[in-house]
Amino acid sequence: MRKTIRSKSWLLLTLSLFLVLAACTSNNGGNDPSPSPSGSPDASASPSPSASAPPAANEDGLFNISDFSNKKTNQGEPLKGGSLNYGLVSDTPFAGTLNYVFYSGTPDSEVLGWFDEGMLTWDASYVYTNDGPATYEASEDGKTFTFTIRDNVNWHDGQPVTAEDWLFAHEVIGHPDYDGPRYDSNMTNVVGMEEYHDGKADTISGIEVLGDKQLRITYKQATPSLITGGIWTYPLAKHIFGDIPVAKMSASPEVREKPIGIGPYKVESIVPGESVVYAKNADYWRGEPALDKVVLKVVNPSNVVQELKSGGIDIVGDFPIDQFPDNADMSNVEWLGVVDRAYTYIGFKLGKWDAEAGQVVPDANAKMADVNLRKAMWMAVDNDLVGKRFYNGLRWNATTLIPPSHPEYHDASNPGVTYDPEGAKKLLEEAGYKLNGDFRTKPDGSELTINFISMTGGEIAEPLAQYYVQSWKDIGLNVNLEMLEFNTFYNRVGDTGEDDPSVDVYQAAWSVGIDVDPAGLYGRDALYNFSRFASEENDRLIAEGISEKAFDKAYRLEVYKEWQELMVKEIPVFPTLYRSALAPVNNRVLNYAIGDGTGMYVYQIAVSQDQPFVAE
Amino acid sequence: MLKLSTNKASPQARPRQPADKSPSGLSIVWREIVQDKIALVSFILVAAVTLFVYVTSLLLDQDQIVRVDLFALKQPPSSEFLLGTDQGGRDIFGQLIIGTRNSLTIAIVVTLLTGIIGVLVGLVSGYFGGTIDNLLMRVVDFFMILPFLMVVIAFITAVPNYGITAFTLIMTAFLWLGIAKLIRSKALQEREMEYVQASRTSGSSHLKIMFVQVLPNLSSIIIVTMTLNLAANIGLESGLSFLGFGFPESTPSLGTLVSYARNPQTLEMRWWIWLPASILILVLMLCINNVGQAVKRAADARQRKG
Repeated sequence: MRKTIRSKSWLLLTLSLFLVLAACTSNNGGNDPSPSPSGSPDASASPSPSASAPPAANEDGLFNISDFSNKKTNQGEPLKGGSLNYGLVSDTPFAGTLNYVFYSGTPDSEVLGWFDEGMLTWDASYVYTNDGPATYEASEDGKTFTFTIRDNVNWHDGQPVTAEDWLFAHEVIGHPDYDGPRYDSNMTNVVGMEEYHDGKADTISGIEVLGDKQLRITYKQATPSLITGGIWTYPLAKHIFGDIPVAKMSASPEVREKPIGIGPYKVESIVPGESVVYAKNADYWRGEPALDKVVLKVVNPSNVVQELKSGGIDIVGDFPIDQFPDNADMSNVEWLGVVDRAYTYIGFKLGKWDAEAGQVVPDANAKMADVNLRKAMWMAVDNDLVGKRFYNGLRWNATTLIPPSHPEYHDASNPGVTYDPEGAKKLLEEAGYKLNGDFRTKPDGSELTINFISMTGGEIAEPLAQYYVQSWKDIGLNVNLEMLEFNTFYNRVGDTGEDDPSVDVYQAAWSVGIDVDPAGLYGRDALYNFSRFASEENDRLIAEGISEKAFDKAYRLEVYKEWQELMVKEIPVFPTLYRSALAPVNNRVLNYAIGDGTGMYVYQIAVSQDQPFVAE
Repeated sequence: MLKLSTNKASPQARPRQPADKSPSGLSIVWREIVQDKIALVSFILVAAVTLFVYVTSLLLDQDQIVRVDLFALKQPPSSEFLLGTDQGGRDIFGQLIIGTRNSLTIAIVVTLLTGIIGVLVGLVSGYFGGTIDNLLMRVVDFFMILPFLMVVIAFITAVPNYGITAFTLIMTAFLWLGIAKLIRSKALQEREMEYVQASRTSGSSHLKIMFVQVLPNLSSIIIVTMTLNLAANIGLESGLSFLGFGFPESTPSLGTLVSYARNPQTLEMRWWIWLPASILILVLMLCINNVGQAVKRAADARQRKG
């Protein structure tokens, strides 16, 4: 699961301003055996006596994410059986592509998390471990991996998970007819994958099936990110999908209506886009799950508080953060929180996407090409105040492009660019942007109108965008704002490669992967490099970061420190806010935690009584 | 020939002239409104609100009102902010004034435009009948079978720089249909009347018969429909804004203010954001409707009170 998030999440566009990858929660993934590496405190160190004492705001009404626990305090004894209601917060239906090989949206991954999981788990530093359904051994040179699947790991229909299934997943993803998003640089790193994809070979030469339960994969390049998510760990049931043509798989009932997995719960019924009922998979390899039944339903962000209060849902994957301050004292839930692996940012369009070459083409004449202009725009906005006022401290000023959810790599000593509107005016003045009436002109004297687009979603979205526009107006920049709905927004920013040339500046958010390698977002050949920025220095640092030399952690840290500095200097995008993820959990729920490395698994989640607690 | 015919046509209108015999249309309407106390109060209320918002909004600076103020988010009503502030720290009272002005302007402009187009098409179609009628009515039918809300919503998401003008035009494009059908049916009846035949025989031009002779006879129905439409059009803008297809927040409108109530926290805990606008919509629509009902009665001698 985590793996998909990694390879995918660099690509995953965060839904609106507040919907982030809820799929990160370890319980959903069920494969995080390690303590939390994030900035969140370790709850187990100090079991709080009163179970649901809400984290208190300080006198300014501000909250601090480090006051939140990421583990639910258990109250009472687990009930034998029982059922649990899970709320998937979304204002649209989930797409229903319920297979790791094919899915693309975050909501689908939340659905998947309950009934399927990957073959490998990882530890505190996001390195694969041997605690999952399979174990692995790496060769001396770090290029060849031998995997052994545990004997008791079976599909929901009782068939054993085999090495053939794992190979089959690779074959499907590499197939020319494959229509999902997983054929990426991780895939092409498998020896023989490109030849297979191009039809030059019938088999993938780098993958060998050694036995029923043993598989060996050879990779072209050994990189530090290989063992932090560079391996495809989701097998595909060959006994079910073997007869279906690859082109038809993603639309098949086996993916949409009766999906199959290996996880602790199995899908009993699905109402497309709305809800899923899971039943216990008594045969689960880790042990018998505690609950008899889990019901997942889509809950609109505007109803989520009511549903929680009335006990209609016990847990939500990702709570809309702007609704928290008003509900911090909800009596029947406990609030869990972690630093989210995500950040909000403002991007500048600096070029185009060349689909044929698969590369970004920076344009030196782009409207935003002057770094002084970009820097002034960063200096003009007070994100510290934005975080405090709009988000009560639950989002806070961002400084670099590696968020504090990766505490080792996040360079806390780098202050980014600080708020200084007077300095911004001076900078623009010196760079030749002279005031002509209310607004500044370009250095050549022509008019400067900047088009800014932002996403709708949540009541903060528009005031926030307005705030940026007026901050820029205050330093003399004429900025036009257009608010767009999620899909239209990314379409115009260029998620298909056809960038809308009228867009100059945009506000968006990224969920980042467990590996810090930024190639997928800022590399020269990354479609999702929406700012279309590229420079040789950037190429060099990104390559260094995943080179063999980077197996030396100190060196890798140094490289990414340099990269963060480069990004603060060049400003193709600037981060605005770091984010926290909150999850309210009904008091009857036991053994639940969010975030990375909690040592808790989905199958352990239990309830202490039949009926959920209701708010007083 | 033409000259002669005009001369001959004028005596035809003469029987309607004597003022002591039948009062003018407007005075009948006025008398009807005065007779009906509810309609009178409604009329005064609408007039007062309209006058107030248009005058006050001249004195207000819209840019200042929609400016996001991070230090005044979600403030309850106080002496500084008469009706509090919204989640962007923007003064609700100012937004209410400008919003009402915007919503009213839209409703009035849409009503007038649809009225003009509808009357023109309906009159031409009904008066001439035959092929022209057939053609025009098929156009009307075509627009009518389009799913109105769907098209409007698609249009709103597709149009860049969506604002008051664009909204007014798209509304107008669909809302003239009803009036056109109504006027057509009346014109069809009217053209069979003897005065039309007579005027035609005596050589009056089609234009003159349509606009000078037939149109005045339809004026009562036009006024009634348009007054009632005005009330509906205020609701239309608010409804669309509420559904999330309204104006950007930098263009306040009544619907935008009400739509903040979609957030349950706002609905429960911050009544000052949405309640004033909701009451205002209710009052405006009810009042205009009351006036409209009085006008309707005035148009029908059998129902008159006064």
